[in-house]
Amino acid sequence: MSAPFFKFGLFGNEVSLIVAFIIGIGFGFFLERAGFGSARKLAAQFYFRDMAVFKVMFTAIITAMLGLFYFSWLGWVDLSLVYLTPTFIWADLAGGLILGIGFVIGGYCPGTSGVACATGKMDGYVFVLGLFFGIFAFGEAFPWIAGFFNAAPMGQITLPQLLDIPYGVLVFFVVLIALGGFLLAEKIEKYFAQKDAGKAL
Amino acid sequence: MDPTIDTLSVPKTETNKKVKVKAAQPYWNPYLSGFGLGLVLLAAFVIMGRGLGASGAFSTVVASGVNAIAPHHASGNAFYEGYLGDGTTSPFKSWLVFEVLGLIIGGFISGALAGRIKKTTEKSEHISFKMRYVYAFFGGALMGIGAKLARGCTSGQALTGGALLNVGSWIFMLMVFAGAYGAAYFVRRQWL
Amino acid sequence: MTKLFSNMTTQKKLGFLALVLGFFAIFAGSPYDNSKITINAKDLALMAQKDADNISVQQLADWIIKDNFDFRIIDTRSSKEYAVYHIPMAQNIPLSELLDQNFYPTDKLILYSDNSEKATQGWLLLKAKKFQNVYILKNGLNEWKDKILFPKMPTKPNPDQLTEFNKIKEVSKFFGGTPQTGKTGEQSQPQVKQLPKLKMPAALPEGAPRKRRKEGC
Repeated sequence: MSAPFFKFGLFGNEVSLIVAFIIGIGFGFFLERAGFGSARKLAAQFYFRDMAVFKVMFTAIITAMLGLFYFSWLGWVDLSLVYLTPTFIWADLAGGLILGIGFVIGGYCPGTSGVACATGKMDGYVFVLGLFFGIFAFGEAFPWIAGFFNAAPMGQITLPQLLDIPYGVLVFFVVLIALGGFLLAEKIEKYFAQKDAGKAL
Repeated sequence: MDPTIDTLSVPKTETNKKVKVKAAQPYWNPYLSGFGLGLVLLAAFVIMGRGLGASGAFSTVVASGVNAIAPHHASGNAFYEGYLGDGTTSPFKSWLVFEVLGLIIGGFISGALAGRIKKTTEKSEHISFKMRYVYAFFGGALMGIGAKLARGCTSGQALTGGALLNVGSWIFMLMVFAGAYGAAYFVRRQWL
Repeated sequence: MTKLFSNMTTQKKLGFLALVLGFFAIFAGSPYDNSKITINAKDLALMAQKDADNISVQQLADWIIKDNFDFRIIDTRSSKEYAVYHIPMAQNIPLSELLDQNFYPTDKLILYSDNSEKATQGWLLLKAKKFQNVYILKNGLNEWKDKILFPKMPTKPNPDQLTEFNKIKEVSKFFGGTPQTGKTGEQSQPQVKQLPKLKMPAALPEGAPRKRRKEGC
């Protein structure tokens, strides 16, 4: 089987835009199903009240990871044709940190802000304005930060390659982290629910 | 198994409205939503050979805006150039732009089916609307900067790269959680 | 045992499935393993029989001159031979590195070597990896030198042959070659010239022929 289909020329750029639209619908649909159109639910993750962000994210990651791994093993997908964002250590570190801070202050991320706007959240619209502004500020400052942006390039590299551990072993490891995390998350939610209930009395 | 009705997350419906609003339903089980999301991500991998994303679409809008107002400035800037392309096709004919349009529609469909379309502002009762908007704007700005620095956001880097065991993506994901948990204390009045 | 399983909620079932799949992944090997290829023998045999993927030197010269640039030319010889002379725009990629490149299966690739051997071997490798647009330069560099760089005028040309040869002369000059008119009967060893300065760079930049669309977030 020749997949990824697009890279084998099964359809052209025009059709790929339609594919994008349909995939986007699925994306937005499940984000909203999980309640990620609500900043309060998203932010609750970072106060240990509601671990849905962790649960949804890691369930999605291990689903796609296992799916891709086994499709590749079966010869259904050529994994080397799937795009891997190149690693730039400093930019990834700093970007993640800043994004995390922005996440808990703003209450959304770019994807969920789209869902928030779709469901009428006014703070979602304000967030999007802020997003535009931040991107604009970055664009304007780009000539000066280009050096940092491109620092410590490691190219397209996966964890198994970096740590020199077999890919499948790492897959198992990630599944263990996720499942263990889920069990822990349930306990944490219960603990804080009781704590909050106790406080309210 | 009953889905837990989380009082923090279910929006209250107003009963004195003339228009009949469908009662908001509880959110789906996060594991099932995550599974669905994972399947969508897998579909993107298998069909397109790429993952999901979001921030890129917003960047295209900004770049186009700058190009419309000050084309000379935009063409001299490597960042904007990357989103404007070579001028032969409209920058809006980008995969991410169409994907985000679909995302908005998909979010709307899910919200409509569940009675969760409502003009509202998410915040705790401890801060004012104005303060919430200030925070939202500021948070959005930080997020814009962070997403561009990291070459992706939670959808593009964390979800997509996470599933691909991409080194940069896992570094990014850890830092996102670190940053968010770290800053959470300072804005707790906004949420709790 | 089965009762225990059916009593589990959907999410626990999924979690269990994930655990099992994750466990077996340990034994499955790397998904990036390039070393195995599957060949549809019948198809390949048919294509080889029909000479379907050959292109002539004249055709290639034509495409280069016309700026028809949606393909890559790949020189499959050693780097030493490449340095002495290579077809303009050609990239030097030895066979052992051919599958490690970042090509898409839809890229148009033209392989050449001194005659056709290495190019044909490369063709087989790429076809097995399901590449759709791979071509072999028929008779390779030898034919290129013979017909394009140093074309010989027929000894007693008729008018048709003369006009034909004049066209070929122009092509030859474009590539910096020396048409052999052979008027004085000289059989001197033609000098292999270095690449003439063409408008396009001698080697394709990274990511050519077409600019790859952005695929990040």
